[in-house]
Amino acid sequence: MARAPGWVRWAVLGVAAVVVVVFLLAQRHAVDVSYGQSPAARDVIPEGAAGELSAAAVPSAGELAALVRADPVVRLPGAIARWDEKRVADAIGDRDVRILVAPPGLDEAERDRVRTAEGATIRVIGTDVSGGPYAAAGDSSDDWRAQFGTGDVTNQLVALVAGLHGEDAPPDVDPVTWREPTAAELEPVLADLRATGVHRAAGATLTDVPAEAARSAFPDGALYLALPLQPFGEPLPAWGPALAKSFPDKPIVVLYGSWITSTGPHAADFADVVGATFYGRFAERLARYAYPQRAILSAYLNKVTDVRYAGLFDRPLPYRPADPLEVALPALPLVFLACAVTFLALSVRSPRRPTRDGTRRAPARLAGLTALAVEVSALSRDPALTRGIAKLGAARDALAGGVPDRRVAALLDDAQSELDHTARALGRPEYRPDAYLAGGPA
Amino acid sequence: MDWLVWVVGGLVLVGAGFGAAFGPGVRAAARAREQAWVLARGAVEVAEVGRDASTAAVPRAEELLSQAQALVACGGGARVARRATGFARAAERAWREHGRG
Repeated sequence: MARAPGWVRWAVLGVAAVVVVVFLLAQRHAVDVSYGQSPAARDVIPEGAAGELSAAAVPSAGELAALVRADPVVRLPGAIARWDEKRVADAIGDRDVRILVAPPGLDEAERDRVRTAEGATIRVIGTDVSGGPYAAAGDSSDDWRAQFGTGDVTNQLVALVAGLHGEDAPPDVDPVTWREPTAAELEPVLADLRATGVHRAAGATLTDVPAEAARSAFPDGALYLALPLQPFGEPLPAWGPALAKSFPDKPIVVLYGSWITSTGPHAADFADVVGATFYGRFAERLARYAYPQRAILSAYLNKVTDVRYAGLFDRPLPYRPADPLEVALPALPLVFLACAVTFLALSVRSPRRPTRDGTRRAPARLAGLTALAVEVSALSRDPALTRGIAKLGAARDALAGGVPDRRVAALLDDAQSELDHTARALGRPEYRPDAYLAGGPA
Repeated sequence: MDWLVWVVGGLVLVGAGFGAAFGPGVRAAARAREQAWVLARGAVEVAEVGRDASTAAVPRAEELLSQAQALVACGGGARVARRATGFARAAERAWREHGRG
């Protein structure tokens, strides 16, 4: 086997180490699966950090109990939930149902105080309706639109009252009606959208559009219109269709309070899915907390991005070049294994090499030359013979000490030349080592 | 404390790797040193015989031999042994060349 240079061993070890490091660093696969690696940001609505807690205060438990005792419907300051008095009154009938309405964005302790308020049959925190062991939540976009766009919780209250008394809930009624925005309303909005692409109506909490989420959700740009929570019982202005007349090829995102709608090209492909998944997932939090519109919009845009990248709608994805690391990853363990085996093989071979060098001729030569020296010593007193014998002794020690054969051979060569010198001085060619070792004495 | 398993396992693995890589090398180096000293002692003996067999006194050879003997007496690494071997061989050569004349 050819002898590999020493550095090959270490180069192979280095390659193996690099492969291990690369392999370990590449192990950051998350559990979530996304067709085409959607770039939507994770942790869309971080707990508490999004400003969802309001400054609203809740009276003490005793005061709450007194308030509830005094009045069948208690509205704490800042409460936003509204309902159709008549439908709810019809559902309640002549039963004693007391409703406590608290503002959204309460912290844990305040929520607990409202939930355990003595005497309150139904508690409404923000637009989150609960009572007894039940909670009533919207489950259709009609419900969510009314709940988050206008604070309307009529359907939930009616269903909860029915549920609390073991009755079948009456069918939901969509309370939202639409109207055209007036020309006077339209004018400043159009001017703003033309200029900046964003219009914030008075009372809207949107500060700015989250740029990165907006870019990945609508790469070609979109128009944003933020409105505050709409007054209860009035028709909603249908901004989407009205604006689509002026901007037929632009996606338009309209925020009515916490309710977000999308219109524009391709809206039919994703708006319903996005709305259903977004409010299906976040309705509970959105109802309880007072999220600023920016946080809601950011989460919504991320959901749009996810849906766009979900590959559900035959939408071609932008070309993504294959990541060489991703491609090489399955091969890395094999590369590592090969490097490790090569390194071990080279390491095992190296210490053995010296003793496996060719066939062992040195002991035979030593024996032959020693026999020759013994024979000649009876005939000669040449100093060369003495030196030769000394060198044979050194060669014997070297052989016993495990010195590599080629070193011993060098010593034996030395000794042989001394013995050769002796034989020539004696004039006995048959005692010259070459002849002696080849055939012995004639 | 879960991570402790990984730390200990990693240390054991790295230790075993270094052992496998350096153990044979260290043993081979030790053997090479022993062999070098065997050769050195052999060379010194040969030189002493050469001195006894020589007919003339060669001061330089005496000096070389005494250096080689000093090195053998002190001991040390393989390079010291090779140096001693070199001194002893040079001394032996000097005796052979001058002692003949």
